[in-house]
Amino acid sequence: MLRARWWKILSIILLVYTCTYGFLVKVPKLDDRLQESIRNFFFHVPMWFGMMILLFVSLVYAIKYLRAANPVHDTYSMAYASTGLLFGFLGIVTGAFWANYQWGSPWVGDPKQNGAAIALLIYFAYFVLRGSLIDTEKRARLSAVYNIFSFFMLFPTLWILPRLTESLHPGGQGSDGNPGLNGKDMSANMRTVFYPAVIGWTLLGVWISTLHIRVQLLKLKKEGLL
Amino acid sequence: MFQLLQAKAVDNSGIMVQQGKIYLVMTIVTIILVGLFIYVASVDKKITALENNAKD
Repeated sequence: MLRARWWKILSIILLVYTCTYGFLVKVPKLDDRLQESIRNFFFHVPMWFGMMILLFVSLVYAIKYLRAANPVHDTYSMAYASTGLLFGFLGIVTGAFWANYQWGSPWVGDPKQNGAAIALLIYFAYFVLRGSLIDTEKRARLSAVYNIFSFFMLFPTLWILPRLTESLHPGGQGSDGNPGLNGKDMSANMRTVFYPAVIGWTLLGVWISTLHIRVQLLKLKKEGLL
Repeated sequence: MFQLLQAKAVDNSGIMVQQGKIYLVMTIVTIILVGLFIYVASVDKKITALENNAKD
């Protein structure tokens, strides 16, 4: 799986498709507020989808580590968490840039923005924790436990609290549904780009994670820990 | 000089300057994407070589 090729090629195809057809596809013109910037949906939103998927994979490997104490699982968990965090960081930066032109300021204190920032900070602490422990077994065990905690902090920060208050994002109080993925709100045209974009960006994240993992496994082998 | 070049570019009626020059943006994004993919694929290749070395 780590070295298989088909899904890497799939990722290339999907992202080339996203970055070409994403600019050409007809988007609805509702009023003059969003204009063409709704195309950011193919780039900004998949960062968050990708982040959630990658962090979920990281969680799965953290649990696996706690069950078997296999350092390979710790390696997987760390790699997926770091790529997930990268995606979240890109999501927050692209969001701030978009917000600057859409809402008038890069940071307007929107509940989704604040929640995402808190969630990312909680994950930053995961790497602080890792960096502060020298003993590999202790580091793997503690960070696996903390990883589970930080994943579950995504529930209030990203999935619950922002939907209980008014928000500039879609999906706040008074507008039903999922902030990112509201099938009924997105035009059929846009969906033909959006879903491939989510899969493509996520696969790219998985690809980068596997590179991390392979280097780390080589290191472990060299040190005789595997 | 630059003004001349710019005037020339505006005169051009090729595909890159149609539709508000969106094709130009599309091309640039695609170039960056392809560049990134080439980079990631080359790192992938190097790691594969290391792994093959480690096996021997």
